[in-house]
Amino acid sequence: MTSSGGGSSSKPRSASFQPSETSLKRKRGVFQKLQHMMYGFGDDPNPLPESVALTEDIVVEYVTELVHKAQDIGSQRGKLSVEDFLYLIRKDLPKLNRCTELLSMNEELKQARKVFESDEEKLRKVFEVDETVE
Amino acid sequence: MKQSKDPFEAAFEEQEDSPPESPADASADARQNPNSSIAAHSSQSQPQDQLQLPHDDNAKKGPSQFTPGSGSGSANASASGSFTATAGAGTGMKSKEEEEEEEEENMDVELGKFPSSGDPDKMAKMQAILSQFTEEQMSRYESFRRAGFQKSNMKRLLASITGTQKISVPMTIVVSGIAKMFVGEVVETARIVMQERKESGPIRPCHLREAYRRLKLEGKIFKRPMSRLFR
Repeated sequence: MTSSGGGSSSKPRSASFQPSETSLKRKRGVFQKLQHMMYGFGDDPNPLPESVALTEDIVVEYVTELVHKAQDIGSQRGKLSVEDFLYLIRKDLPKLNRCTELLSMNEELKQARKVFESDEEKLRKVFEVDETVE
Repeated sequence: MKQSKDPFEAAFEEQEDSPPESPADASADARQNPNSSIAAHSSQSQPQDQLQLPHDDNAKKGPSQFTPGSGSGSANASASGSFTATAGAGTGMKSKEEEEEEEEENMDVELGKFPSSGDPDKMAKMQAILSQFTEEQMSRYESFRRAGFQKSNMKRLLASITGTQKISVPMTIVVSGIAKMFVGEVVETARIVMQERKESGPIRPCHLREAYRRLKLEGKIFKRPMSRLFR
């Protein structure tokens, strides 16, 4: 499994299963966007590379811990589900709100996509009818 | 299976088809999450953002790209002036799509109106704030809105952690959102640390470590209890 850890400083961690043998090839991983993200949150326009790498490590570890905890909770259900994550961040209001917002957005997007596809289908049929008529 | 690319391309096409909606959407910029630490986790973006959003921003910026899509869907055409669905309150969530059975909310699908959304107050406030941004603030805000983790990377990471379970798309979305907010917390705390130490310039790893330590004390960081013996 290729590692998505960035930088040459990423070491294999016990909590995450990311071999770093491809660290040179996978220099970016979550890297690129992370710089912009840090800038957006208040860092310098050009954050230090070691800061970005450290932040990436922190985030990866955080996600790993999160997932492990969710697995612990959701193991009863057998499958990891979104609800497990929502339960885990229930105490953290901003995150919880943000997640519900994102999820509902996703739903709406799906709906819109469906509408669009059905419209497309109708259009296509209309064209086909026209062609046969001509 | 059409995953992230097509619906957003579709959304872009729709946006071009119905220009009258987009300025309204663009100006109705605000969706304020009242609890978020920064002034806005609002999911509408400036016009230039809408047109230039690369597809790989899907993971996090789904909302902002979605704006055009909903704006031009036939049923949605009327709504979009105040298209903001605050915290999913007024929006429909059909509880059954692919893996969506888990969604606890079971509201009616209202494609057009989003009742509690809009919050014209907040939108107005948001617009007032945005109009007074300096160049630097605006570019920072833009980075803040557009930056996000790539869905594919997150998927791969999650799969490797869980041991190649199938990772649903909503899960990547949720985790990306959580991770981004976590980055925000760390960076902001690091900035506070820097202020206390009266330093300036780019954030250094020592600040990050101190910030991480503080967040740990606050309990925001999940740590597995090492010893389960004395719970």
